[in-house]
Order: sequence, then C-alpha cells, then structure tokens
Amino acid sequence: MSDILIQYLKAEILGDLNEEITPEDDLLGSGLVDSMGMMKFIGFIESEFGFSVPPGDMVIENFMTVAAIESYIKQMTGK
Amino acid sequence: MGTMLHHSVRKAAEKTPHKVAFRCMQESLTYQELLSRSTRLAYVLRELGIAHGDRVGIFLNRCLDSPAAVYGILEAGAAFVPLDPFAPASRNAFVLDDCGIKVVISNNSQRRQLAGLLKEAPDLNALVGTALDLSVPQHLVPNQAPLDSTSASRTDPHDLAYIMYTSGTTGTPKGIMHTHFSGLSYAQLSSDVYGVRSEDRIGNHSPLHFDISTFGYFTGPLCGATTVLSTDAHTKLPSSLAQMIEDEKLTIWYSVPLALTQILQRGNLAERNWDNLRWVLYGGEPFPVKHLQTLMQHTPKATWSNVYGPAEVNQCTYHHLSSPPIGDTPIPLGQIWDRTKALVLNSKDQTVDQGEQGELLIHSDTMMQGYWKRPDLTERAFYHDASALKYYRTGDLVHTDEEGRLHFDGRKDRQIKTRGYRVELDEVEAALITCIDLTEAAVFAIKHDGETILVAAIVSSSTEELYEQMVIQHLKKLVPPYSIPARFVRMDKLPRTPAGKVDHQSLIENEKRVK
Repeated sequence: MSDILIQYLKAEILGDLNEEITPEDDLLGSGLVDSMGMMKFIGFIESEFGFSVPPGDMVIENFMTVAAIESYIKQMTGK
Repeated sequence: MGTMLHHSVRKAAEKTPHKVAFRCMQESLTYQELLSRSTRLAYVLRELGIAHGDRVGIFLNRCLDSPAAVYGILEAGAAFVPLDPFAPASRNAFVLDDCGIKVVISNNSQRRQLAGLLKEAPDLNALVGTALDLSVPQHLVPNQAPLDSTSASRTDPHDLAYIMYTSGTTGTPKGIMHTHFSGLSYAQLSSDVYGVRSEDRIGNHSPLHFDISTFGYFTGPLCGATTVLSTDAHTKLPSSLAQMIEDEKLTIWYSVPLALTQILQRGNLAERNWDNLRWVLYGGEPFPVKHLQTLMQHTPKATWSNVYGPAEVNQCTYHHLSSPPIGDTPIPLGQIWDRTKALVLNSKDQTVDQGEQGELLIHSDTMMQGYWKRPDLTERAFYHDASALKYYRTGDLVHTDEEGRLHFDGRKDRQIKTRGYRVELDEVEAALITCIDLTEAAVFAIKHDGETILVAAIVSSSTEELYEQMVIQHLKKLVPPYSIPARFVRMDKLPRTPAGKVDHQSLIENEKRVK
C-alpha cells in the first residue's frame, strides 16, 4: 500500500518521479507537502480506499509520514 | 535583566537549571541543556572562524535545534539570520550573499532543501549540525563541552543580534537589523504587559523568520518560562494544533489569526478544553470579528489582545479584550505601549488632529537599527522630529479615536498582508514580468471569506493551454509560497487610468463582479 501512496505523492503532489521518499519521511515538516497538497492527498486517499476522513482524524499521528497514513488506512478499512 | 539576549538563558540556567526552556513534539530542553548546547555550538562556530559581528544562517524547520542555534550564535558574539526553508532556493541564496553568510546551521531533515540551496549558493563554507551527502564541509556539535568553551566576553547591547528578511518593493528582500538592546527591550516590555511569569507555558506558532517568534524565543527565556514550539505539521493539521494547546496546558498563545480560524473551521474545537489559557495574543493582520467572537466564547478565562507592530519595531500597540466584542466593528490597534512615542502625520509631515487620518510613526526602544547594507532604504524609513528624535515610518494609515486609541485605516503603499505575511505587490509584479511570453502584469488583493487572496491579471502572447501552471512554476523559483497569486486572469490588455497608469481599482471591481 505504501507504494501506491508514494507513487501518488511523487507523480501528483511533487511532480517529480525521481524524488526519493521513504515511508518514514516527515511529509509536512520537510517541505515535501504543503497544506494544499495535503488536502489533495487526503482527497486521493478517500476515493482510492473508499472512506471519508473526519476532521478529527486529520492529526499528526495519522498523517505525518507515509507509514502513519498506511496504518491509519488499515485501521479505517479493516484491511 | 542582563545586557545581552543570551544572558537570559545563562541566568535561568543558574536559577532553575532543570526547568524546561523549550518543548517540541513531547521532547524537552531544560535551561541547563539549552545553555550547554548553545555553548558547545558557540565553540564550534568560533573554531570555524566566526567572530564578533559575523552573520550566521539558521536553516531549520520548527524544532528544538532552533533555540539552540539562536542562543549558540548569540553566545559566539555573532548575529543570527533565520532562513525560510520553504522559500525558493534563489531567494535564500540572495540572503546568504547579501549578508555575507559563510556558515549555516541546519539538520539532516533539511537534506532536500539544502541540496537545492547549495546549487545556488556556491560560496557557503560550512554546514553545522548535518551529516549528509553534500559537497560542502559539515560539522557536528560535540556532545561534551571542550574546556576552553568560555563565551565571548564582549557585551555591547548595541551589537547586532539578528537580521530578519522581509519583502522589498524592487524584487529583492531587505534585512531588518535588530540589536540585543531592541530585542531585550521587546522581551522586557512584552513580559510587563502580559505579566509573563516563570510558570507560564507559551505557545510559539510562528516560524523563526517571522517577527512574532521573538515572544517565544526571547520573552520566554527572559522570564524563565517554558516555550512550546508547534511544528510545521501542526500548521497544516489544525486538529493536532488544538490538541497541543490542551495537552501542553498552554497559558499564553501568540499567532496570526489564521492559525486560530483554521482551528475553528476544522480543528474539532468543541472537544478541546483550553481552560489553562489566560492570554491569547494575535497579530499580523486583522481578526475577522465573527471568528474572534466564537473563539473567545470558547476561552472564557482568557484575555485576548490585538497586537500591532511592523517587524521593524517588533510591537508598539495593544488592545485588550476581556469579553467577546459586540457587533462587527474591526478591533482597534489600541494604545501605544511604554517606552514608545507615536506621531500621526499627514503627507506634509504635519501632525493631524484627533479623528483625522495620517501615517503612523513610531519611536521606541524596540525599534530596528536599519536595513542591512541599505542606507538609502534606512534613511527613507526614518523621520527626525524637531528634537532630532528618530521615528520609524510604518506606512500604515491610522486615526485616533476620542479615547486615544489608534485604528487601522489601510496602507500608504502597495504592501498587503496575507496569512500574516507581508507581501509587496510590486515585488510579485516584478517577478511575474520575468516569465516567458508575459508582457504585462498587475497584482492586487481581494477579500474572500474574510481572507485576503492575491489575484494576478496577466497579458501574454502564449497559446499554451497550461500557461498559468507554467507561470506558477516560474514564480515558485522567485518568491515565497504565500506571495503566489491564488487566481490568474488572462486579459488582452490591462485597464488604464486616463493618466496611463494601471487601473487597479477597476481590476478589483471586475474581480468582485466575477466572484
């Protein structure tokens, strides 16, 4: 699952397929993703994995890294 | 009070060594640890040849390395220059060159931005705090203090302490120079006005390159209080920010209005208990009154204050609100604080009567020394009264009401505020006009949902379908993200006044009709 997420980040948010992103990279603190990018990314997650993210879930624990996002998606979809 | 900014940390480390000075993401730095880290950093800097009066860059995200960098540079007798890691590399390279910076403090999390910066700044001699695969020499700070790591003995409060860069009208940023004296004067005055005590826990939301950060970074240590830094992730996830204010039991908060209105809109505020907050300061731009009312109802124990002052003078007025404002009248800038004098002058530099509009000029201990290497701008920025007292021309138009409070009426020039950041519209136009196939550009601001957004009217010969995207990509290399227009309007030609000037008013009216 992290491959799909990283692929989307590279292609649609960063617009640079050569960028190296690891599941542990701090997406928000390292300047990889800005506020608008995060909103777009959340939109992608919602449509790709078929659930909606309530505002209360948009927290650092769930969205700081690709690894965090992955475990959040698993928790929401029961996969 | 000591005579130098870093004396605050030394004193607090003596008096309360185990008290937490700074916190970020559940990690703490006590005053003793902060002193130890800054002393060791100062040693490394001196070994690298940094001497009294030199400038050292700070290239960091919001983290505990930042306070150590600030105080380490000051301990070394140098001045710190905060760089914005989110700004284009060319802009940061300009600052490094302008200030003659040879050494930059950073950490490994900045590897991407540093790689970009180094391409544009080949003269950089060294990085401190990193161990990365980069072409420049790097130095880590030792874990043990070397024996001869005593601090620089020179103590002149009029030494340069920091330079903060802000938008300039001509397309290049200008550096606002502050001394230990102006920084400490601000720390002392703000601690008096808000009664800051060592028990306080101050929420610092502002990045280091933004003047609001001086409260958390200077006033906190002066009072031996704890400053809690929110991270860049908090700025994008309001629910986490709202939770941090509760979990960290913050007693004082200071930020631009946007941080708080975002919490109101998508921060789960109803579930948060902010009863520890006793004072909320906001500044940078006006607070939409309806949002202020809702937020104040959520913090019945807190006093709210509208804080005003350009980065050139730190702060100069305040207006306290102990209960939610009634109606929708904008909140006044309020009264001038201590050790500060104000003039309201008309275009002929004559004092205006009460109620009449004029430009606000400020004389204060908290005032800047001038703009770095720009005697021309510095001279224009100051006015000398009959007794040769120096006043800073704020460029803000104000009037005084019957109770002596100041009210903001607008700008004298084309500077605007968006998300609390200063943007010179002329600078954005200057950047736009360098785009390929672009012949004319006019940038203006409109209000949308209580927020100020930038709109660019452009004239271009390009038939490229994604031309606006190309323009945005080009701008990203030249100006900070907050200066990039949110909307682009293609025109055959720009509307002009009979005198031949671009008719900004008609552009704004057009845009309002479209909305």
